[in-house]
Amino acid sequence: MVEVKNKRTKLLIFLVCIILGFMITMQLKSHNQYQNVAMQRAEDLSVRLKEVQADRDKLAKELEEYQAGRISGTAQQAMDELKARAGETEMEGKGIVLTLDDSKQASKAGENKNLYIIHDEDLLRVVNELRAAGAEAISLNGQRLIGISEIRCVGPTVLINERRLAAPFVISAIGNPQTLESALKLRGGVLENFKFWGIKAEVIQSDNVRVPAYKGNRTFEFAKNLTEEKKKETSRAEADKKPAEDNKGAADNKAAAEKDKGPSAVQQETSQGISGGAK
Amino acid sequence: MIYAVIGLIFGIIGGILTPGFVPKVYAPYFSVALMAGLDTAFGGLRASMEGDYDNVIFLSGFFVNIVLSVFLCYAGIMMDIDFYLIVILVLGMRIFNNLAIIRRLYLKK
Repeated sequence: MVEVKNKRTKLLIFLVCIILGFMITMQLKSHNQYQNVAMQRAEDLSVRLKEVQADRDKLAKELEEYQAGRISGTAQQAMDELKARAGETEMEGKGIVLTLDDSKQASKAGENKNLYIIHDEDLLRVVNELRAAGAEAISLNGQRLIGISEIRCVGPTVLINERRLAAPFVISAIGNPQTLESALKLRGGVLENFKFWGIKAEVIQSDNVRVPAYKGNRTFEFAKNLTEEKKKETSRAEADKKPAEDNKGAADNKAAAEKDKGPSAVQQETSQGISGGAK
Repeated sequence: MIYAVIGLIFGIIGGILTPGFVPKVYAPYFSVALMAGLDTAFGGLRASMEGDYDNVIFLSGFFVNIVLSVFLCYAGIMMDIDFYLIVILVLGMRIFNNLAIIRRLYLKK
């Protein structure tokens, strides 16, 4: 081995070795760091999840406090009733559960396959019939039907409360079970029409039908509440027309009464029309 | 010899005390540079044991090897060829060679 005598050479070797050692440790440190990055991300995410969950629980508690604390007595009762009417509460009671499923029959040659499946129109007719028979709360596949609910065809599915639903459809309705069932099974009524195409319909009467609350969002973007002043203005303006309107109202009532007799007859006609046309 | 060991220790301590780390983008360059540095260090050790150590050759070898290996690595990444593997392979082989010679020289004594 050569013994280095020169001072400058010693210093340079010293420096080179410092660089080397520095590089070695940096490399090791970086290597560990890379491995930790994935783990750190998972840790960060779990910490954030915990924070958000805590926030959520806190806000839920606050909401509960506000809902429970602010109003009391009659106001609370009034609010509960309004909520129930608006479909904001889960409800239970006597009623029927109707299950509808697409037909399993093979379509005959030359026949439209669409006749064998359930459409939005079929559901609309069923729901309409149930409402006519006095159903107090209706849900379709767990979607509460309220005033603004739509039943609309979107491709192979049906859009209800802005949610896509597919067959089988389970319609729960609270009301007088007898009335509801007989309304559906009326001769020439909705279900008889389904039977012709093999669409399965099963009505079950039950003492405790559950209808969930409306879960969607509703905001009034265009509609505004009338203030008291405006109401007075309009009522004053309408005061002159009142006699005429009373007559009109009476006429409307008469027409409605006639219509009430009408539906079964009208329906019979239409259903015959449809089945007759298909034959 | 003792200066080399002390320098190494100082370097390691400095590395530990330095905050931060090499960004992942530069990781291949850095590892290749480290390999070149190690190769030159072992080469220098071998030369000193054989008795023909030259300070200028050692120092120039140290820096030129590092620069060349990093450049090769960069070129490889630019051309989408894994050049850094070749660099590491060659340097690794040289390190083994040097170590084998050092070992033999040490045993001969």
